Amino acid sequence: MPKLTIDGKSIEVEKGTTLLAAAQQLGVYIPRYCYHPKLSISGNCRMCMVEVEKAPKLLTACSTEAAEGMIVSTTSDKVKAARRDVLEFLLINHPLDCPICDQAGECGLQDYYMDYSLAPSRFRMADKVRREKRRPVGPHLVLDKERCILCTRCVRFCSEVTKTSELEVMERADHSYIGLKEGKALDNGYSLNIADICPVGAFTSRDFRFKSRVWFLKKVPTVCLGCATGCLIEAHHNENIIYRLVPRPNPDTNTWLCDHGRLTYKSVQAGDRLSKGVIKNGLIDLEPALREVASRIDEARTSVAILGSPWLSIEDNAALARLAKDGVKTGSYCFDFNSEQGIKDGILINKDSAPNTSGVKAVGAAHGGIKLAELSRRITAGEIKLVLTEARAAGLIKQALKSAGTRLIVFAANRGEIPPDTYATLPYASYFETPGTFINYQGLRRRTEPPVKAPEGVKPLWAVVNKLAAYSGDSLRLESAEDALEGIELK
Amino acid sequence: MENILLKDNVADLEAYFASGGYRPLKKALSLKPAEIIDEVKKSNLRGRGGAGFPAGLKWSFIPKDAPGPRYLVCNADEGEPGTYKDRELIIKNPHALLEGMAIAGFAIGAGHGYIYIRGEFAAETELLDKAIAAARAKGFIGKNILGSGFDFEIFTHRGAGAYICGEETALLESLEGHKGQPRLKPPFPAVKGLFGCPTVMNNVETLAAIPAIIDKGGEWYASIGIGKSAGTKLFCVSGPVNKPGVYELPLGTPLMELIEKNCGGLKPGKKLKAVIPGGSSTPVLTASEAGAVNLDYESLAAAGSMLGSGAVIVIDDSQCMVKLLQVLARFYHHESCGQCTPCREGCGWIEKILNRFEAGAADEKEIDTLYSVADGMMGRTICPLADAMAMPVISFVKKFRAEFEAHARGETCGKGRGLEDQRTGGSALRSV
Repeated sequence: MPKLTIDGKSIEVEKGTTLLAAAQQLGVYIPRYCYHPKLSISGNCRMCMVEVEKAPKLLTACSTEAAEGMIVSTTSDKVKAARRDVLEFLLINHPLDCPICDQAGECGLQDYYMDYSLAPSRFRMADKVRREKRRPVGPHLVLDKERCILCTRCVRFCSEVTKTSELEVMERADHSYIGLKEGKALDNGYSLNIADICPVGAFTSRDFRFKSRVWFLKKVPTVCLGCATGCLIEAHHNENIIYRLVPRPNPDTNTWLCDHGRLTYKSVQAGDRLSKGVIKNGLIDLEPALREVASRIDEARTSVAILGSPWLSIEDNAALARLAKDGVKTGSYCFDFNSEQGIKDGILINKDSAPNTSGVKAVGAAHGGIKLAELSRRITAGEIKLVLTEARAAGLIKQALKSAGTRLIVFAANRGEIPPDTYATLPYASYFETPGTFINYQGLRRRTEPPVKAPEGVKPLWAVVNKLAAYSGDSLRLESAEDALEGIELK
Repeated sequence: MENILLKDNVADLEAYFASGGYRPLKKALSLKPAEIIDEVKKSNLRGRGGAGFPAGLKWSFIPKDAPGPRYLVCNADEGEPGTYKDRELIIKNPHALLEGMAIAGFAIGAGHGYIYIRGEFAAETELLDKAIAAARAKGFIGKNILGSGFDFEIFTHRGAGAYICGEETALLESLEGHKGQPRLKPPFPAVKGLFGCPTVMNNVETLAAIPAIIDKGGEWYASIGIGKSAGTKLFCVSGPVNKPGVYELPLGTPLMELIEKNCGGLKPGKKLKAVIPGGSSTPVLTASEAGAVNLDYESLAAAGSMLGSGAVIVIDDSQCMVKLLQVLARFYHHESCGQCTPCREGCGWIEKILNRFEAGAADEKEIDTLYSVADGMMGRTICPLADAMAMPVISFVKKFRAEFEAHARGETCGKGRGLEDQRTGGSALRSV
C-alpha cells in the first residue's frame, strides 16, 4: 500500500494503482485523451504528464504506478507547459472545422484548449496536413481523418472489447491515419461506442450527424429495453424529440451499449407510431376503439384470456393481471414466462431479447394464473373466444391462435408490431414516454424515466386497462402506476 | 594498440579459429553464468548502440528464477544517419559477434539469439547466415555446444526499413511481427521482452567485444580507455576528410586526433566548421568545441553532446547549417513512428519551418518558434526519437543562429549545399 502525495494531498493506494487513478481518488483531475478506464494503457497522447520529484522527466500519469513516498505535482509550471505544448501539437494539423463538427460542445480539444491552453496558433494554415474527410465506415459511423488525434481508443476498442480488430493506425509520423484493415467493415454490433469514446470529432454517428447541437440536448437517465441485460443509459432529447441514447457506465451492468440498443428510440419517432386505435386495419379514435374493445370483452367474459408480456413493465403487467382477476374475472390468464438468460456474445447482448421476463414472474407470483402451455391448450381446444395481450407477446401463442381462429386484441405502440389477423389494437405509452419498472437478468430493478411525452391522448397501458374495466362497469381503482404494484414483492 | 574488434583476415571461421577464436567460448562454458556477468561488469563495457548503458548490469537484470524461455537479441538495425560501424564489423569479424552472442546467451540462460539486421544489409545478412552455418557445423552454436550441454541457436531477421526499429522495444515489436512502435516502459525488456519473456538486447559492437573480455579478463578491458569509458570504440567518420571510414580507438582519444591523424585531416581548402560527434541525433559541436573534446562518454556529455553511436560527421565551412538541419528534419519527420503527439506533430512542423527558411520565406521570429517546438518535444515521448530531432535543432539554432537569421533576411548563404549535393555523394550526411 504505497503512500504518496499529489498536489500536497496525501493518499494511500492499492499497489499497482496508477498516478492517474490515485489522483482521481483525491478528486484531482488529470487531462487525458488516449487513456480510457476500460481499455489498455497506450500512453501515446502525452496529455496526462505530471511532475514527480526526483524523476528526470515528466511522467505519464496513466502508465506510472504509484510508489512509496512519491511527491507528484499536476499543476507545476513544467506540467502546465507540457499540456500547452501537447495541445498545440494536436491542434496544428487539426482542421478547426468546429462550426460543422458534431463533436463541438463535447470535444476534448475544445474543452482542454479552454482549460489548459488559450494560446494563439503559430502554425501556418497552408502547412496543415490534409487527410480524407467524411468517409462512411460501416453502417453507423463516419470517419474524418483530419480531425483525428490518433489516440487509438477506437483501435483498442475493436481489438480488446469486440475483439474484431477492424481498425489500425496506418502509415507513420504526421501522415498516420486510422484505417480499416483490408477486407473489413466496421459493423461489429457495438460500433457506435466508438463515436462516444472518440475524444474528438473523428468518428461521428451517422444517425446523430447534423441532427442537433449537443448543447441543446437535455439528458434523462433511463434504461435500455433492447434485451434482458437492461443497460443503464441516458436519453438525450430536446423539444419532445429523442436524438440519441448513450450508455451510463456502471459497475453492475454496462460500460458500453450495443448498436441495437442505441437505436431502440427510433420506434417512438417512427412514422407508424400509433396515436389512435386500430379495428380490422382501420384507424379509429381512441374512445370508440376503447368502447369497442370493452364490449367485445363483455361479450366473452369468462372465455376471455389475458396474457402478460415480458416487453411490458411490471406495472402494466400487474394492471393486466388485475383486469383478469378483478375486472373480467376469468381464470384464463397467464404470467408464466421462462427464457434462457445470460450474455450471449461475451459483451452485453442477452440471450433473452425481452427486457422483463424476470419482472413478469414477480407479477405471476403475486397474482397466480395458468401456465403458458395450458393457455395454448385452452385456445386450441376452442375454450377461449378472445385473447387480450401485448403485440409481441401474441407471437408466443401464434400457433394456437391460428388453429382456433380466436379473436385477438393487442396493445401496441407501433403499427408494425401488430400481428396479422388482429381484431383490434389499442395504443399505449412506450417506456420512453412513461415510467416503468423492469427486472433485468441479474435480478436488478431498473426504472425507466421518460424523456418525451406520448402522442396526444395516448395513456400508459395500466391507465388504458383501468378505463377498459370502467367501461365494463368494473373498478380496478388504478389511480397511478404505483397502485398497480400493490401486493407485488420486489427486491 | 592492437584492434580488438576490427581485425583483418578473420572473416572466415578457419582464420578466426586460428587467431584464437572460439577459445573464449570454451572458457566461458566452464564458468558459472554469474561469473561471466561479473567479468563483464568488471570490464566496464558499456552499450555501443548509443545509450552507453553498462552491459554487465543489463545482463544482471534478467530475473534469476523466472520460468520459461529467455532471449538474446542483437541489435544490428544500424540506422542512425552517419553510422556504419556495425556493418563494417559484421563484414570483417562476424564470428566475434556470434561467439559474443553464444557467451551472452549462456550467461543469461537464453536458448535463442536473434540478430535483427537492417533490411538494406542484404549482403551482410547473407554473410552472417553463412557464418552461422559454419559455426553450427563446427559445434560452436546449436545443440550441446562443445559438449557442455548448452544449446544455443542464432537466427538473422531482416528489418523492413524503419529507423524506429533500432529502438529496442520497437525492434521487439517488429521481431514479433507487429508494426514497429516503441513500447511503454516499464516493464523493461529484461523482465518482459521478446514474446513477453526476459530479454537482453545488445548492439553488435557490444557483443563482439565479449570474447576478448572473457579471454583476457574484465580488468584488462577496463584498463583500456579512460575512467568509466572503458575499452575501444568504433568511430565511423563521414564528411570532407581525406580518409573517411571506420576506426577503432581507445575511448578518451581526442576528437581532433581522430580527424587529423586517423582521417588525414580535412580535404585541401576545407576549414572545419562543426562536428556532429555521435550520430545525427547528437548535439552539434562548433569547431572550437570539437578541438577541445575527447571521445568518451563523460567528456562529450560535459561538452553538451553525446558519444552516441560513434558516428562522427565532419562539417566544413562550405556547408549551410540551415540546409543540413533541413535534411535531418526530413529524415526524422519521415521516420517518426507517429505514436506520441509531440514527435508525430513536432517533426513535421520543424521540417516545414526549415523548408521555409530554405525557400527564403521564413521570418526571424520563426527561429524562436523552431527552438520552442524542439524544446516542447524534448523528453516528452515514449522513446528518444523526439529528442533525436530536438537535440540537433536546439544545438544548431543555439550555435549557428546567425545563419538562420541570414536566411530569414533573405540573404542567400551562397553555399547551396545539402540535399542536392548529397545525392551526388558530396554532403557530410552521406548515410541520410
